Amino acid sequence: MFSLLPDFITRHVLFALVIGGIGGVLFMLFLIEFDHYTGTEEFCTSCHSMELAAEPYRESAHYQPTSGVRADCGHCHVSPGIFAATWDHFIGGGDLIKQIKGAMVGPDYDDPVIHALNLPESAFNARDWFRRNDSESCKRCHVQEAIFGKRADTLDIHTEDAKGKTCVDCHINLVHRAVPERKTFKRDKWNRMVEQEFGLEEGEADRLMAK
Amino acid sequence: MSPVLCRLVILCLFFSGPALAAKVKLSPDNWGHEAGKECVSCHSKASAGIVGQWKQSAHADAGVNCMDCHQATEDEPDAISHEGFTIATVVSPKDCGRCHTTEEKQQRGSVHAEAVAVIADRMPAMVNNLAGPAIEAAGCAQCHGSVLSLMGNGKLDPKAWPNSGIGRINPDGSKGSCSSCHGKHAFSKAQAREPQACVRCHSGPDSPDKEVFEASKHGMAYETHREQMNLDGDTWIAGKDYTAAPTCASCHMGAAGKLPSTHDVGMRNAWNLGGPVSERQHLVVFKDGSKLELPESVKPPRRGSTLAKLDGSEGKIKMVATHKRRRQAMSLVCRECHGKDFTKSFMKQFDDVVHLYNEKFGKPAQAIMRALYEQKKLTPTPFDEPIEFTFWELWHDEGARARHGASMASPNHAWWEGMYLVARNFYSRFLPQVRELNGEELIEKHIGDSEQHAWLKSPELDSPILGLGVEEPAEGE
Repeated sequence: MFSLLPDFITRHVLFALVIGGIGGVLFMLFLIEFDHYTGTEEFCTSCHSMELAAEPYRESAHYQPTSGVRADCGHCHVSPGIFAATWDHFIGGGDLIKQIKGAMVGPDYDDPVIHALNLPESAFNARDWFRRNDSESCKRCHVQEAIFGKRADTLDIHTEDAKGKTCVDCHINLVHRAVPERKTFKRDKWNRMVEQEFGLEEGEADRLMAK
Repeated sequence: MSPVLCRLVILCLFFSGPALAAKVKLSPDNWGHEAGKECVSCHSKASAGIVGQWKQSAHADAGVNCMDCHQATEDEPDAISHEGFTIATVVSPKDCGRCHTTEEKQQRGSVHAEAVAVIADRMPAMVNNLAGPAIEAAGCAQCHGSVLSLMGNGKLDPKAWPNSGIGRINPDGSKGSCSSCHGKHAFSKAQAREPQACVRCHSGPDSPDKEVFEASKHGMAYETHREQMNLDGDTWIAGKDYTAAPTCASCHMGAAGKLPSTHDVGMRNAWNLGGPVSERQHLVVFKDGSKLELPESVKPPRRGSTLAKLDGSEGKIKMVATHKRRRQAMSLVCRECHGKDFTKSFMKQFDDVVHLYNEKFGKPAQAIMRALYEQKKLTPTPFDEPIEFTFWELWHDEGARARHGASMASPNHAWWEGMYLVARNFYSRFLPQVRELNGEELIEKHIGDSEQHAWLKSPELDSPILGLGVEEPAEGE
């Protein structure tokens, strides 16, 4: 049998190929499982700061849809496709480092005040990400040409007026705490709102941000 | 020049403004924003109602689109990013004034634009004591205007929005809401000329102008000949474009003969009819367009001199419209249909009612209340004692009705809905409550010598209307 193969395919090479192949398949399976698990609410909210982001999510239509099709964290925030998903998690690892560093030397993102103060930048970054990938994770479930809606003309709006636009150009603030768009965002207003919400003195938010 | 003509010329100068409804003189290059097409395309599907209204409007005819009015720059406090465009939900007088410069300038500082300041001293008692913030939002502020504020998330605070109160304080600092009368998106001239434009606020116990107008001969004529009112007319000059009847807008704002129209709705009012005691008032117009009402007891200041404005800062005076001038302006509208003597005599009948109210009820009641507070018979807290409601209703509701009734020729409101209720309140509620708190002292001091109340000291004056002397029916009947 071995005589049919070129000379350099020795038994050891063949053995390595089989092992490597099985290993590769197993690694891919691992990545699928890894990407899946690390996109679940359970995993994401194992960081307390993400629990703060999850609170409004649990009130949203993406968590409690009439259809029962629940969108998990990763369904929206992780790209489809194993390589892209893995890359997203690699990049997302930066947040984990920030979280750990924050817990040790600050700012502590588990603190609801710090979380609220930093939320807008997170939202802007997330929107940029959605725009860069043409809201591809939305399109996992939503088909632009099939949005019939409950009101007249919803389909026409999505097929005629939304041409050339991406989902998040119109649909933002659906799940997490509402944040204005970057270009009209007023940091001062936001800080005053956070101070009022948490009973802080005026200016305290600016001091926390400057740290 | 004859004195009459001279006066007329001066008047026209004072009440300067175009004789016709001001046409926008800007070049059409100033509107027709490119993005407007996209707004219309999507909103004709998403909110077909407002687009439908706009499509039938003069704005649409002229090519003024959504973006022309709703455009905003990113640094504006209420700017939002909407589907990629930077817009503001609220269209303020400043926005309208980009094209409608004359109207914006006229309404600036008017009693309408200052409608929040007008009730500022009443608000704590009304909102904190009698009602609550929910009523401030759904009641007071819907007519007078709210102070719009933005939340941290960029949305308009629902405590103050939606609101189209006439003195709304907008995020851009301007005061007023053109849509209060002109209705958003359709901006119908006809609607603003209809009495209906005013009655949303000018109705009810304290400002019963709807009821007064409807009960007057003006209202009667309007109802009967509404189709002859030319309400849609390009120009709307009383005596020229229509003669059937006046509406609120005709007298208070409209052009009449040579009198130009104005968006300063209080300009032609010689009296303040809204206080415990009425006073005639001069209107001071400052160089920056802001205005100030001065009671006639204060000597009218000179042109060019400085005076403290409503906001406390010093302002240079551009002109002063004395109460006589204001009355003259109003009378010019009357004169399109009525003779000089008729007009003068009507004004006399009106003034007499105001004087009667002032002297017989308003002044003594106010003086007695002041004394009760000074003598500490009443706590300073408003509305924690019954007499405070009694006094409030005497001037704010019943007294206002009587005075408004006389000003706009509704006999029913001058008397039964007005002065009769003032009198009933004064004699059957107010005086007995004063007596309970202080005995006869204050009553004697303030009305004891008044001839108008002398009848109280003549118990023998008889009348059959209340049963005195009416024969008992014979038995068996």
